[in-house]
Amino acid sequence: MGRPSGERVTVDRLARRYGRLLLVYPRTYRRFRGDELLGALLDAAPPGRTRPTVRETADLVRHGLRARLGRPASRTVVAWALLASVIGGLFTAALATRVAWQTAEPLPRTAEAREMLAQILPGQEFTGIEDAPALFVFYGQPLSWGAVHNLLFWDGGEYAQAGIGGVVDGTLAYPPQQTIELVQRNLRADGWTVHPTTTNDMYGCVGPPCDPTTIPKSTTIVAGRGDTTFTMQVNPAYPGNSAFISAGFRRATPSAVYPYGIGGGLLGGAAVFLLFGWASRRTERRRLAGAGLKLLLGVTLFLWWVPTVASVQWMARHHRAEPHPSWHPMWEWLGQPTFSLPFLVGCGSALLGLAIAAVPGGDREPGSAAADRPTPV
Amino acid sequence: MVCAVKNMREPTFLILTALADGPRHGYGIVREVRTLSEGRVSLLTGTLYTALDRLTAEGLIEPDREEEVDGRTRRYYRITTEGLAALTAQTARLRQLAAAAEARLRTVRPRTV
Repeated sequence: MGRPSGERVTVDRLARRYGRLLLVYPRTYRRFRGDELLGALLDAAPPGRTRPTVRETADLVRHGLRARLGRPASRTVVAWALLASVIGGLFTAALATRVAWQTAEPLPRTAEAREMLAQILPGQEFTGIEDAPALFVFYGQPLSWGAVHNLLFWDGGEYAQAGIGGVVDGTLAYPPQQTIELVQRNLRADGWTVHPTTTNDMYGCVGPPCDPTTIPKSTTIVAGRGDTTFTMQVNPAYPGNSAFISAGFRRATPSAVYPYGIGGGLLGGAAVFLLFGWASRRTERRRLAGAGLKLLLGVTLFLWWVPTVASVQWMARHHRAEPHPSWHPMWEWLGQPTFSLPFLVGCGSALLGLAIAAVPGGDREPGSAAADRPTPV
Repeated sequence: MVCAVKNMREPTFLILTALADGPRHGYGIVREVRTLSEGRVSLLTGTLYTALDRLTAEGLIEPDREEEVDGRTRRYYRITTEGLAALTAQTARLRQLAAAAEARLRTVRPRTV
């Protein structure tokens, strides 16, 4: 028996909206269960409803995403998917921030840096000022294919942000303490934000007996202005060593880094989640392929997560220990490229897992009995 | 099976109970669960189908038949022998817990009144 036309229009509109929401479910699932699910949704809807409620929408999105992971009886697949998605999102966010760093202004040239140093510490001659060859350098040079071997085999920590600056070795124009005070005063006068100084012992205790108060201390001044950061270290003279100053400028994190990082992270996390779900569904009925995939997933997550967790802890301690007008780049927080070898091996393991999943044999045949009854993990 | 019974949550228990006296389709299960729980548990459709997928994968229920009513597809589900065993075990467990709680309450009530 037909429905009144007004009611039919309302139901059709609601059905279209439910249908759009059901796109969250994987295609194979929709093919076999879509009509049934839609029928149940329409049965449950009170008369006159034209759009899904917020609660229904959230429920369908949540369970549609769960359905994308397959393995309905598994109690751990969601946790594994989240681990993979979060780490994948973090790495893609870091990659996006590296791209965004390309928007940074070039570093000051030699003449400009010399002039800036002269304003900060007038009357002091700095030597060794040279143009930076790139924004990020590896052993002072732009990264090249020739450096990949060293980069992979534990020298990745040498890939760092370049700066331009100079040194004073021996003759200081002013005593160390006066130098520090003058520099802080001049920086503030020029509009720099000067952070509290930090001091470090020039050497460790040689004792006993040892009186730490007698150990000479180096002082570090850090300041920021606009897109530039300034760092100066002042070492006093002590027996066998002359006084020493190093001073340099770097670029602060460009503002584009934040939207790039957030966007890249969200896109990357979503892509990894979808890939994870695809591979999980493709292998849920293939015992051997499923076991291989689990092993490779374990290897990948271990090689990606362990260096990341260790690096985040180390970087957090480092940031707490001294002022940072500009945070270290995101990839350094993730231990990259110091741990680029484990990262690459993890990538290889992930790609091998996806290749195993891509081998034909995992698709459900339309209309088969197996399609109606998912099997447990 | 032991694991499924041990960790059976209330919605799962209610879905199996709803199917204990015969096959039902998705919305029929939702209505029956609401009745059994006296309106306390209202399953949303996404939640229901995730539970049905899991119970099917665990072998506690299975598809029964399909029919089309008013242009809408309805698939019926029935409880399996394993599902009945799990429901029986869980019912016994809940009965034992309820009996233990009632016994405790009987000893407490005279003092609190």
